[in-house]
Amino acid sequence: MKDIFRTRRMWRPRGELKRRYDVVVVGGGAHGLATAYYLARNHGITDVAVLEKSYIGSGAAGRNTTIIRSNYRTPEGAAFYQQSVELYKGLSRELDFNLLFSQLGHLTLAHSDRALITATERAEVNQLLGIESRLVGLDEIAKLCPELDLSTEVTWPVLGALYHPPGGIIRHDAVVWGLARSADRRGVEIHPYTEVTGIERANGRVTGVRTNRGEIACDAVVSATAGWSTLVADLAGVPLPITTHILQAFVTEPLKPFLDVIIVSSQMHVYVSQTDRGEILIGAEIEPYTTYRGTSTFPFLEYSARHVLELFPQLESARVLRQWTGLCDISPDFSPILGVTEVAGFLVSAGWGTYGFKAAPIVGTTLAELVATKRTPALIAPFALERFSTDTLVSELAAAAVSH
Amino acid sequence: MRLPAQPGERLDRTRPLTFTFEGATVEAFEGDTIASALYAGGRRVFSRSFKYHRPRGLLCCTGSCPNCLMQVDGAPGIRACIEPARAGAVVRAQNVLGSLDRDALAVIGKIGGPFTPVGFYYRTMIRPRWAWPYYEKVLRNLAGLGRVDRHGRRTRRFDTEHRRTQVLVIGGSEGGVTAARAAAAAGEQVVLVDEGLSLELGGLDELGIEVVAPARAIGIYEGGLVPVDAGNVLLRFRAERIVVATGSLDQPLVFPGNDLVGVMLPNGIRRLVREWALRPGERAVVIAPAVEPIVDDLRAAGTEVARVFDLNERPPKEIVARGRKGRLASVRVDGETVACDLLVMSSGRQPAYSLLAQAGARIEYDAATGIFVPRDLPANVEAAGSVAGTSHAVPNLFPASAGKRRFVCLCEDVTTKDVRRAIAEGFDSLELAKRYTTVTMGPCQGRLCHLASVRLYARETGSDEAAIGTTTARPPWSPVTLGLLAGRGHEPVKHTSLHRRHEELGARMMWAGAWRRVHSYGDPAEETRAVHRAVGVIDVSTLGKLVVSGPDAVAFLERLYPNRFVDLKPGRIRYGVLGTDAGRIMDDGTIGRLSEQQLYVTTTSTGAEAVLEWFEWWNAVWRMDVEIVDVTGALAAVNVAGPNARELLGRLTELDVSPDGFRYLDLKEAPVAGTPCLLLRIGFVGELGYEIHCPSPLAEHLWDTLLERGADLGVRPFGLEAQRILRLEKQHIIVGQDTDSESNAIDAGMPWIVKLDKEDFVGKWALEHLQERGPRERLVGFELDGAAVPAEGSQVVVAGRPAGRVTSARWSDELQRSIGLAWVPPALAEEGSRLEIRLNGSLQPAVVRARPFFDPEGTRLRS
Repeated sequence: MKDIFRTRRMWRPRGELKRRYDVVVVGGGAHGLATAYYLARNHGITDVAVLEKSYIGSGAAGRNTTIIRSNYRTPEGAAFYQQSVELYKGLSRELDFNLLFSQLGHLTLAHSDRALITATERAEVNQLLGIESRLVGLDEIAKLCPELDLSTEVTWPVLGALYHPPGGIIRHDAVVWGLARSADRRGVEIHPYTEVTGIERANGRVTGVRTNRGEIACDAVVSATAGWSTLVADLAGVPLPITTHILQAFVTEPLKPFLDVIIVSSQMHVYVSQTDRGEILIGAEIEPYTTYRGTSTFPFLEYSARHVLELFPQLESARVLRQWTGLCDISPDFSPILGVTEVAGFLVSAGWGTYGFKAAPIVGTTLAELVATKRTPALIAPFALERFSTDTLVSELAAAAVSH
Repeated sequence: MRLPAQPGERLDRTRPLTFTFEGATVEAFEGDTIASALYAGGRRVFSRSFKYHRPRGLLCCTGSCPNCLMQVDGAPGIRACIEPARAGAVVRAQNVLGSLDRDALAVIGKIGGPFTPVGFYYRTMIRPRWAWPYYEKVLRNLAGLGRVDRHGRRTRRFDTEHRRTQVLVIGGSEGGVTAARAAAAAGEQVVLVDEGLSLELGGLDELGIEVVAPARAIGIYEGGLVPVDAGNVLLRFRAERIVVATGSLDQPLVFPGNDLVGVMLPNGIRRLVREWALRPGERAVVIAPAVEPIVDDLRAAGTEVARVFDLNERPPKEIVARGRKGRLASVRVDGETVACDLLVMSSGRQPAYSLLAQAGARIEYDAATGIFVPRDLPANVEAAGSVAGTSHAVPNLFPASAGKRRFVCLCEDVTTKDVRRAIAEGFDSLELAKRYTTVTMGPCQGRLCHLASVRLYARETGSDEAAIGTTTARPPWSPVTLGLLAGRGHEPVKHTSLHRRHEELGARMMWAGAWRRVHSYGDPAEETRAVHRAVGVIDVSTLGKLVVSGPDAVAFLERLYPNRFVDLKPGRIRYGVLGTDAGRIMDDGTIGRLSEQQLYVTTTSTGAEAVLEWFEWWNAVWRMDVEIVDVTGALAAVNVAGPNARELLGRLTELDVSPDGFRYLDLKEAPVAGTPCLLLRIGFVGELGYEIHCPSPLAEHLWDTLLERGADLGVRPFGLEAQRILRLEKQHIIVGQDTDSESNAIDAGMPWIVKLDKEDFVGKWALEHLQERGPRERLVGFELDGAAVPAEGSQVVVAGRPAGRVTSARWSDELQRSIGLAWVPPALAEEGSRLEIRLNGSLQPAVVRARPFFDPEGTRLRS
């Protein structure tokens, strides 16, 4: 409360780059800042520079559709995200910054028998791991979301849903700013408009980075650059099995409360929520083509509108205010690539596809632990880059596709 | 309260009409907008602001600002100043508690101000955590503008039209009309799209120019696509040349009281007076560059012009507007106070460049004119008129003064103080500050606040506008309804050519992708019995069907599938599993060799489209001499299965159907029931069976004949549910249900189809690797003790952790057992292994059965 009557800087103005840091984090998004924050908070490692080529939160962290959930399909994935949700729950207090995390509840609609099987499987896996998640029928869906069109005379009638009460939405920019503020206050340096142009190595080890503002020596580099992951990893000579696609979203003009739950439909390729400002926020599946060009397309608006109106015909007169795109780094098995690479000291958080944002705190804690202890935490072991050479993939396709 | 007829006014005074506002009747003329009619009736407050619920009146009258957003016939966010008045329209205010004139929520603006600075919600309501949902509920109820009926339906029909033209002119401004005329004179085909705000469009059609108005360009998208909102029709334009003539927008001055009702922009005055014959106020003060036209307009309306300040001559150091109950009462300029009810103000005009920016133009600040101008236009896109950058604005005009709120952004109620505070807190780049203060993020999309916010930023950070730059111009340029975007509200359902027959038989239908298929005709168990004891028929027309032919046809499939086909003789069939590059199962089906160079490939129902794409893609990559024809819709298919199938088929065809004449996995072409058919002897359901493919139009005849001639043999139609039970008894998999995106043929228990000794095929390296590595999990059959059937998706549990999953499970009437398929760890995959399956929260014992539950030797299938 006191902070509303006085103006206090969130973070120090950008200073000069030092010649050396213990750790350099590439990417001033949610993952990079969380890693820096937890390095300082959990391990006392504060000689850290976060390098961001634009402003903080300018990439995926500020473009995602802000959904937080843990109802994944694989035990590995679900356990991981469960801890992320737990961390998010306490994060507003921890950072003393209201992230506006609203656990409204999350409904993944099933429009076919097969989707019901997947929903059942996720519910069962979730329940075994202690995650609140269950299959619900039409009666309960109607109670949770009376606005939803549940009639059967449509092409894709709703047959049931996976209900995940802890699922929610959060203010994504606030997560970035809150983490940046706390990291800065603990001594981490944040350098916006600082682009990494090279990664120095000697004897298979990282020794430093080159930037548009000069060279820095360091022992460890953590790359958390989402859609640009492959390009940054290339600088370290590490090929990543990732392709970059765009994902699009749009908001309508703000409306009075209409939707108090998050609706996801893989069949319709959409997910729908209402922000605290009242905008209806609608996202879709990634575009099938690979690109780094973040141009919004019109067909996206058309098919999303068509699908949204199948679920919510009453939104016919709602108006699209703004559309945008973000870059997604897609891995072959739709699971992330997290941790060490063949270059010692070069760590990655990549391959997040469409669901990196919800993992930010757990990525931060585990990567920080890895940097500090040089041991990979068990929780992220299944997501090692190495799995693509041993072919021990973690299939999240079923729960990742349009399940933001 | 209208003025006498004005030259060129829009009104047709011979055609009065009425609509209602908040239940009261409002009189209007044809040609009025909702706002002009309300203004004529004396209304001055048109909306309440987003955050502070301050009264707001007409400002721009061009649909650019948020000040007149209303609900019209239930639709939220209608710009009343450009919405034509319609007889019988039901108009309501939005975002008020009470009425526009007495809004109880105005208390937030009055006393809440100090507690609600920019970003206050990030700093408050953090503790106690349990209270947040309650706070949030309050916040959510306060937020938002318009309302949609929670239980409304789609009411309007929208269509989409694809249009082409040589020249598309967007905007009927002077520049636009000139460009259109020139193009038409040069013999080009021209379409001009106008919002309906321009008056000078008469006579253009005589020149052969097609005028589309009122209509709004939504954006300029990839490939020069320009979607246009033309009411009930979405026009998707593609033009050889796009001329953007969107003109320029009046930019408000930022001073205390700049949002009072009675403060207006010059263009708003012009439209009220000239188009709707209204007197905008009684006594006016003008502060603007280029004051003469404004003064002319005011005098024409009989408004007293009390004082004029020409910004081009001497920008004032101080401007303070004061009001009473939100309405303008006086203006103080450099110490001089003038009583007035109207303040016409502007700092100049900014090109409306958004469409050009979306098209790829670079936006640059021009210090000489004080505006952002488009540069480096992409090929085939031109700017005509003031949008090109011929206007100007008075730079850096923030008259000093203390105390009252000065609004930079009217949509979001962001004040100069808010922006200043954001910068002081460290949000020191424009994009960051935009997200923190939400300036430019409201319904006006920055039309009236972008320039002012950049100026303020420049000033506060000791920088200049050129260095601060612009934020991304995001589409759409004008807000567009979901209804228009969606077009016709339907997605087609697919029916097989036997659909009518199923309905006549009273079938229970189910949804399989977009297909409607038969679940059962009443009793699935009875249907399985018919297949086991007599004969059943099932409609399998939804199967994907491809004819692959050409000299390289066999070699092509040899490369696509892990199976071997070179030794497949004409007239024989092989089961095939299609794999991805990573060796994962993509689809399955049968491959029958029709002749040396022609094969018939079936796919799963849901995989049909993906497999066709996959085939075509590889055909394009390999450039083999292969032709692929999709005959999915052209051919219907009926599977006839059961011990009496041979007898039934024999009655309908001349073909030798004896066990030696028509062997298991034989493929034959022959008439059945007088219909040319392709017959595949295969056995998905585990009994002697023939899949009969025939031309779709003849399917009903084939079906009818089968049922008729098989009556004494006990023939019965069966549905998908019976088929699922029957195939499960045989442990035949369904791709997509029993497999997922990571399943491979080796782990799925079909190593025999993978021919690693072949030279190459898609996914070979991966399968070699998988072979070497050994399985991580295996797909096996299981039987459950007792009658319970686990839900598909249930977990196989080891030591309390999920270790495997049930993909299929059914009660088999034939076996009197609960059976299923499950992925389990290799250690549990041996015949007789004990499993525990979680069922309704408790663990049930089960036993692994590695071989088919029914007829494991396949003697019935091959009989």
